[in-house]
Amino acid sequence: MIAEVPTMAIDMVLFNENTSVLADEFFAHRLGLVPLVSTSVDQFKYSRDCTCGEYCKECSVEFTLHVKCTEPGTRVVHSSELISSNKDVVPVVDDNGRGVILLKLSKGQEINVHCVAKKGVAKEHAKWSPCAAVGFEYDPHNNLKHLDYWFEKGIKEEWPLSKNAEEETENDPSAPFDYNAEPTTFYFNVETIGSLDPQAVVIKATRVLQEKLGALQMALEEDQHPDTNANMDEADPWV
Amino acid sequence: MAPASGFRTLERQRKAVSPGKEQEYPEAQNLTAPHIESFNSIWEPAGPRTPALVELAMELVGEQVVFDGKANVDSPRGTKIAFWVDRLRLDHPALSSRETRSANRLVYPTECRQRGISYRGRLAGVLHYRVDDGSEQTEERNFGQLPVMVRSNRCNLQNMGPADLIRQHEEPGEMGGYFIVNGNEKVVRLLIAQRRNHVLAIQRPSYGSRGPGFTPFATQIRCVRKDQTSQTITMHYLSTGSLLLRFSLRKQEYMVPVTLVMRALVGATDREIFESIVGGDADNIFVRDRVELLLRAGKEYSVYTREQALAYLGDKFRVVMYAADDATNVDIGRLLLDRMVMVHLDDHRDKLNMVAHMARKLYAVVSGECREDNPDAQQMQEVYMPGHLYLALIKERVEDYLLAIRAELGKDARNGKIDLFNNRYLSKLFGRVSGDIGQKAQYFLATGNLVTRTGLDMQQMSGYTILAEKLNYLRYLSHFRCIHRGAFFAELKTTGVRKLLPEGWGFLCPVHTPDGSPCGLLNHLAHKCRLTCVVEETTDVENVLVRLGVAPGMPSPALHDAELLTVQLDGRIVGYCSERVAHRIAQQLRVLKLQQQKQQQKQQQDAQAGPREGFGIPFNMEIGLVPRSTGGQLPGLFLFTTPARFVRPVTHLATQQMDHVGSFEQVYMEIACLDEDVRPGVTTHQEVVPTNILSAVANLTPFCDFNQSPRNMYQCQMGKQTMGTPMQSYPYRTDNKLYRLQTGQTPICRPRIYDAYGVDGYPNGANAVVAVISYTGYDMEDAMILNKSGYERGFGYGTIYKTEYIDLGKFRKSGDPVTMHFGIGRDMLANESIMDRIDVDGLPFPGVRVQSGDALYAVIDDVRGRTKVFKYKGENGYVETVRLLASGLEDELQVVALTFRIPRSPDIGDKFSSRHGQKGVCSQKFPAVDMPFTESGMQPDVIINPHAFPSRMTIGMFVESIAAKAGALHGVCQDATPFQFTEANTAADYFGEQLRQAGYNYHGSEPMYSGVTGQEMRADIYIGVVYYQRLRHMVGDKYQVRTTGPINPLTLQPVKGRKRGGGIRLGEMERDALIAHGAAYFLQDRLMNCSDYSLAYVCRKCGSVLAPIAVPATSHVVDLGAPGSRANGNDVRFAGLSATEARAIMASSPTVTSSSAVPMGKGPLDLVCRLCDDAEGITMVALPYVFRYLATELMSMNMKVTLDVK
Repeated sequence: MIAEVPTMAIDMVLFNENTSVLADEFFAHRLGLVPLVSTSVDQFKYSRDCTCGEYCKECSVEFTLHVKCTEPGTRVVHSSELISSNKDVVPVVDDNGRGVILLKLSKGQEINVHCVAKKGVAKEHAKWSPCAAVGFEYDPHNNLKHLDYWFEKGIKEEWPLSKNAEEETENDPSAPFDYNAEPTTFYFNVETIGSLDPQAVVIKATRVLQEKLGALQMALEEDQHPDTNANMDEADPWV
Repeated sequence: MAPASGFRTLERQRKAVSPGKEQEYPEAQNLTAPHIESFNSIWEPAGPRTPALVELAMELVGEQVVFDGKANVDSPRGTKIAFWVDRLRLDHPALSSRETRSANRLVYPTECRQRGISYRGRLAGVLHYRVDDGSEQTEERNFGQLPVMVRSNRCNLQNMGPADLIRQHEEPGEMGGYFIVNGNEKVVRLLIAQRRNHVLAIQRPSYGSRGPGFTPFATQIRCVRKDQTSQTITMHYLSTGSLLLRFSLRKQEYMVPVTLVMRALVGATDREIFESIVGGDADNIFVRDRVELLLRAGKEYSVYTREQALAYLGDKFRVVMYAADDATNVDIGRLLLDRMVMVHLDDHRDKLNMVAHMARKLYAVVSGECREDNPDAQQMQEVYMPGHLYLALIKERVEDYLLAIRAELGKDARNGKIDLFNNRYLSKLFGRVSGDIGQKAQYFLATGNLVTRTGLDMQQMSGYTILAEKLNYLRYLSHFRCIHRGAFFAELKTTGVRKLLPEGWGFLCPVHTPDGSPCGLLNHLAHKCRLTCVVEETTDVENVLVRLGVAPGMPSPALHDAELLTVQLDGRIVGYCSERVAHRIAQQLRVLKLQQQKQQQKQQQDAQAGPREGFGIPFNMEIGLVPRSTGGQLPGLFLFTTPARFVRPVTHLATQQMDHVGSFEQVYMEIACLDEDVRPGVTTHQEVVPTNILSAVANLTPFCDFNQSPRNMYQCQMGKQTMGTPMQSYPYRTDNKLYRLQTGQTPICRPRIYDAYGVDGYPNGANAVVAVISYTGYDMEDAMILNKSGYERGFGYGTIYKTEYIDLGKFRKSGDPVTMHFGIGRDMLANESIMDRIDVDGLPFPGVRVQSGDALYAVIDDVRGRTKVFKYKGENGYVETVRLLASGLEDELQVVALTFRIPRSPDIGDKFSSRHGQKGVCSQKFPAVDMPFTESGMQPDVIINPHAFPSRMTIGMFVESIAAKAGALHGVCQDATPFQFTEANTAADYFGEQLRQAGYNYHGSEPMYSGVTGQEMRADIYIGVVYYQRLRHMVGDKYQVRTTGPINPLTLQPVKGRKRGGGIRLGEMERDALIAHGAAYFLQDRLMNCSDYSLAYVCRKCGSVLAPIAVPATSHVVDLGAPGSRANGNDVRFAGLSATEARAIMASSPTVTSSSAVPMGKGPLDLVCRLCDDAEGITMVALPYVFRYLATELMSMNMKVTLDVK
């Protein structure tokens, strides 16, 4: 969920004019981190898989931003002012409809950029991550004793239970410890930055996992079929 | 515990958007006060009833007198001219009158900084002269442009508030206190000086070896004149019983018998001398005997009256005093006493008393009645204030000017050109003498070298100024607060001077000193410590003293009371009293002083300038009562009101008023630190807060009371090396190199003082989630792992700004016509790669990306008629600003400053540190998925190893970790002021409770899951929020790599130095290690093959590497190819080739002959051994080239090196 769920994010920025206080590379970095609505990310190809030269509609969305401050005072530029070439991929906005603050301009300053958003995964850069944080827990009561709690007075006072503890029961401390127990229930807490909703992230992540497992299985099966190598069963498959 | 001050984010934002007139952080302004106040006091009165120091200085310079040597009826020496300077004044920096194009005549610091010029104002004075007894003539003289201290009373920024300062492109909280010299900000260092006007007893073995009869005992007093220049005199105790006064005049030492001086001062009789020295202690046999000896020794000069004594002195000092030709010996003797002896006093009777006191103290030390003083203790110290030093320099230059006129007049008098009645002649002569004081002062500030004729009573001649580096706010700040002991002590082998002494409590910070060679010598003022700067009016004090029961004058032996104490006010003996009375007086004076202060405050509040009630007791006055003790300090009541003393605020318990305590009196006062330290009836004062003893920088270490003390010292160093936010006015700065942290944050956890000094405007780091865990091994040995996602989101992202000045003027001599112009000529207009980056004006487009080798700017050269394109050298970056620099005087643009922006994102190898002296190097940027994470999904930004803690004991970092974690969870700012917690109320409990309320573990630990396997880790992990600083040491500036590259032409070995692309030395110790490992092949590879491998000819017969020589082939060229003419088929054509090339050639043609080898171009060559005179033994060997060099050098020393080649 953190690394491999694809989203859209701005990846290339062409500066036509930048007289703001922020340096080009710094502003470009800010643009990259702007969350874009990525529900339609599956329509796009990865740039590297696309047949186009640099970028095309198949693999990217273009944005333009052109603001000049002509009045005295400060002109605040929000991410909602990025004009998208694709109505499905637009900057994520909050309740007031403005999005994040990109930069502030004072009188006479101008920003005019052309951006290209591409599909990507957070493995490559954190800007493609749909998630802010993913909580993960198993065995909230520490029944499996994977963890040695450190305490001064007592575990109960010093270690508050997490919410997930309500879902399970604590083992009777007098009962014999089950050495063979394995964690069976996993609690996830997914918080996204708005490009995808948490549900979609989980589903997509599962699909990525499935695909990976599938690929692994295919590879294993290919190796196991004795079409090329008859005595594979005895040999170490990794050699 | 008091609630923290809060982040004040909105308030600060409001103030930043609409700055006002009032300084937002007045406490920060106080940090530079010693600099500014002392500079101000030169030009304007610092005290209510005292003139400006410059006026006093000019008075003391006095007049010079010359005679024209044309004898007339009245005077055999001829006509006399006397001349002197007064009304020296400094104007605000303004444009020169030659500049006629500008309407606004004032010059502001930002222009000077950006143009790389000096911020100076015109120094002018009035030269007076009088010919004979005629009327006084005056002439206005210009003394050049004198550098002006920023935000002083001569600066155009004085009294400006944030709004105006921002308009002038300064920081909103610009503190000033520095000079701008050639665009650099220069600070005059504070230096420790001996306490003025106070007799110091010294026992120094070196004094004993000064000459026959000398003993190690002496007393010394550093007398300070009204204009704050000083003159030290030392009184030596001789084993014969006599005393000698030593002083130095024009860097030359002189010794004068004390009796002679005392006689000359007031014509003291033997009885008077006896009584003044013995005082009330008439029964002290030791002193009486010594004084008798002293008087007897004085007899040998046969000087009995005052006139005789003065004449004697005058006669001896006539030459060195530069006195007027018509001055009598008596005049000169008097001048000597005025200029050299007890110069802080005017009255000769006072001087006599003080000399007598010196003698008395000396006898007391010799007899063991009192102990010598410790000159390294703050009690006996004060400060050379920058302003006072500056004035002393100016004063001496004025003196020099007068002496130069005198010399010029004298020269003219000798060759008869002198004409004192011709005003035009005089005017011309005055003009002929250079009086550019400004230039001299600028040299002083630029180099820190003090060029002086008299020595100015200073111990060092260089190192007076430092460059105020704007690396970050803390470093910049500490330049103004640092105080040096003196260059002399740096070379001292003994470490006594470096010791941290209890006397310095509250004045010098015990934490903030560098480690290494300047440790203990370079200290920093505690943040509340002030230096007095006001010259006080003290007549009221004297009246009060007399009223309180001080008997005026010196005690007489007739009193037979050895218990009487002298009462001194600023080094003047006011009188004497009994010890009991002295105690009472000290108490009463303090009460009066506090009352006075209260009244003044009240009057200020009422804003009524009514008549002053009570006595004028300065509230900075030190009331140093030294009680009688056995073998301790000499008792007495010592009052000080002078400038340049250390004072600090403490609470007076009885009145709950703020009292200022000096470093002399503090030793004998009872000041409690905490409430529980107060001893009823004994304690009189209490510290305001315990943190007042720390410097501004040391105070910013959060929870520093939990740390092991050296860690706090390290943090003081590291805080100053942080790549932070040195300023807000980046666009208007042209500093050589500026660092900037783009994503600075305010620390969640900070001491209260953080806000008082406005550090929020200059953030130095970022709050990072830190897990203390040993994970993957990439965090061993102080390495730290960064979260790659954190890095990608901007953690620690920094930028470097570099500025380069391009001055076309340096291509021509000054005065020559301009031949180079910025611009692109027709010859280049078609070149697209250049036109892409350079505009038609020849300068790069702002924002253009530059790499090493790219065209940067273009210049049209009239002489060659071509465009010259200059290339960029350096790191990849962007052109940030192009600045066109010129004054209104130039016709054409010749100077340009280019500022480059070099992005520096954190990299493997960059250095980071927390605020607890815990530095580490980034070893990996781990992908977020591989980082361990907590149940809530938090991943650390930084992983550090638990082993960093046990030996270093930086518990403060743990406390900060949980405090900031709790602060982040509750959304509050945590107060990290030290000394807030006690054993009963521990920090761990306070913050633990907060954590528990937020649903977290009490101790700050959390269960974590491995980012690789998803398994829960066996132990819970300590994870919290710590403020991390990025240090300026970056691999980008340090990595060094080379395959081949430049070599030293002499030794053919690789050169050293990163800048030149040199190699890294594999030294003796590395060599030893390789030998020990038996790595012979590698050793040869490093030391020879990759270094200075060369092939050399050796004569096997004589064994010389130098004897084989190539001679033109003889006529039997045809035979050259024949075997036997040369051994092994070696060939001259390898000369000058590298090893690999030589080998390649040898490999390609194994049977080479010299007939085919003609590399020298002339013709075939033969090899002959010059010693053996044949070619038979010549063979080729591989050698390090330096060996040949060594052999040559040895040959020059008549030594032969023989190789035994087999």
